[in-house]
Amino acid sequence: MKIKRILIANRGEIAVRIMRTARQMKIETVAVKTAAEPNAMYLLSADVIFDNTEEISEIPVFLNIEKLISIALETKVNAIHPGYGFLAENAYFAQKCIDNELIFIGPSPDAIYKMGNKTIARKIALAGGIPMAMGSEGNIANEEEAVAVAEKIGYPVIIKAASGGGGRGMRIVRKADEMEKMFIIASKEAEKAFNDPSVFVEKYIENPKHIEFQILGDRHGHVIHLGERECSIQRKHQKLLEEAPSCALNDKLRKKMGDMAVQIARAVDYHSAGTVEFLLDSDKNFYFMEMNTRIQVEHPVTEIITGLDLIEQQIRIANGEELQYKQSDIKLKGWAIECRINAEDVQAGFAPDPGKIENLFMPSNPCIRVDTGVQAGSSIVASYDSMIAKLIVRGKDRKEAIKNCKMALDKVWIKGTKTTLPFFRMLVRHKKFQDGSFTTSFIEKDLEKFYFNSEYEEMLAAWLATKLFIEENLNDDSINVNFEHGKVMSPWLLNKRINQF
Amino acid sequence: MANDKLQIKKLYALSSENKKFSFSIPLKHSIRIGKRDYEVKLKSDEKFGTYILWKNRKYPVEIVRSSQNKYEILFNDISYIFTVETPFSLQRMKVLNTTLGKSEKEIIKAPMPGKIIDVLVREGSTVLRGEPLVILEAMKMQNEIISPVNGTIIKVVAKPNTNVMKDDLLVEIKL
Repeated sequence: MKIKRILIANRGEIAVRIMRTARQMKIETVAVKTAAEPNAMYLLSADVIFDNTEEISEIPVFLNIEKLISIALETKVNAIHPGYGFLAENAYFAQKCIDNELIFIGPSPDAIYKMGNKTIARKIALAGGIPMAMGSEGNIANEEEAVAVAEKIGYPVIIKAASGGGGRGMRIVRKADEMEKMFIIASKEAEKAFNDPSVFVEKYIENPKHIEFQILGDRHGHVIHLGERECSIQRKHQKLLEEAPSCALNDKLRKKMGDMAVQIARAVDYHSAGTVEFLLDSDKNFYFMEMNTRIQVEHPVTEIITGLDLIEQQIRIANGEELQYKQSDIKLKGWAIECRINAEDVQAGFAPDPGKIENLFMPSNPCIRVDTGVQAGSSIVASYDSMIAKLIVRGKDRKEAIKNCKMALDKVWIKGTKTTLPFFRMLVRHKKFQDGSFTTSFIEKDLEKFYFNSEYEEMLAAWLATKLFIEENLNDDSINVNFEHGKVMSPWLLNKRINQF
Repeated sequence: MANDKLQIKKLYALSSENKKFSFSIPLKHSIRIGKRDYEVKLKSDEKFGTYILWKNRKYPVEIVRSSQNKYEILFNDISYIFTVETPFSLQRMKVLNTTLGKSEKEIIKAPMPGKIIDVLVREGSTVLRGEPLVILEAMKMQNEIISPVNGTIIKVVAKPNTNVMKDDLLVEIKL
């Protein structure tokens, strides 16, 4: 059975991204229109739109297995692409697709289950001799048990959700009296996010780099890797910037880690695209962390340095095709950097800042790729993630990629919500980012200021405040409106408020 | 007011970090760097919205809030809060600041709309700077609201499993 029509069980930029490749492969797509964002941009890319706006539910349709299967059957698709997040790593959903004779564009339910359960994944890695941080044998029942394990392996330790991923349900514990509080927080967060409160404890590797390998496997037993990505720029385990390759690896280490990643994938008969995550310490020792059994947000940087389309590879593999490439065919060329431009307030600790995007202008030139699911007029809604766009920039080497990134960042224009742009503008100018010595603790430890502004920007803002004051208070031909309990409001502000409705 | 207007020769914009920018009145539409004046233009169009044009570069601007003489300005994605003072009001403020002490309590507000998952402190408990007070869930992430100060909890308004809006009072801490 060949894939002819795909249901996109997702939204936003990844839905747009999948449909772009599907169109090139002459495969039809079905997208789901939801009440939360009935005018979303991804709907424009679909051949067929399933209208689900009548259904008002607190749980998004993209998490509703029964509903998605029924939409798939009704719209006569023969495959489902889950994207990332939502049900992408839900073994039951993958099995349900198979049961209904739908191709799940992803790995087998068995591989999803084994790698999704971190305690099972640890056992598999251990059996294969993959280096790992010391930790509890299995799940931990309570804080006393956690303290006992921590005493044995030594503080600091990290509590992780057994069914976790994406940085949720993780807490670092540095001394015994923090354990109770952190254990409860991690366990509650895990239950809320993954419907499974079980957690385990692992030795916390201080100041590591986050290095992950992109894997491709087919249904005929072939597995290759497409090199690494470095994702050490993260805040509370949420990645902000990713690059490929990593300046921390040489060819020898790349081969060693890549071989290990392939070995882990083989251990679960992995097919489709997947990612094996490692931590790399300052002595270049690496430790297996987890395997993500889905396409990842940061996949474009790998596409740029390998020239492959990973969504196309996923679809071909799901079709039962053999990989067209051997390991020796994969050559890494150039450097790529991805900035996740999110609707977040960098000055308020990266708090989400949902709202309507009033103006959006992304630069375009041959070294820039933009993956986005919004346009001017779109809203970033609180019910989904805060991503506005991924700005992906290439260069012939790291230095050039950073230079191009710096220029591109100054050309991005977004009005309506605050964004992570000032953070990236700071980052590309930071010495520690430029010399590559940063680790996952960079944001928490090495930064005093989270954003960049040139010395004149504040003065210009002060000028504007003064101008407004003069208009409101010192002009005889005042055009002010006295409004809202005596608050003086300029016509602009009024305009902005009106536009918000 | 008419009299005031005649007398005012200067205005000061004070930033929240107490930086003082002074501007002579009538306000010039230029900013001097070294010995050169660079023209500042405030513009607005469909494609870019409102922006400031300075030294051949556009900067997005927005007036987020204005109340009396206080302005919150979003300039190139960064928020600045200024109070604009006349020489007279600036003088008065200086006098007030020396007679009035600093505030003795810290009010912790919700930084974003969301749901309270857990409250980790009680009235009367002492907290250290950096200690988590409340777990607030917003946009699928659980955020720890951290105490910015050392002190004693005097009021807990946040309740688990309730929704809060941005700037809702959560906790009060006595310094």
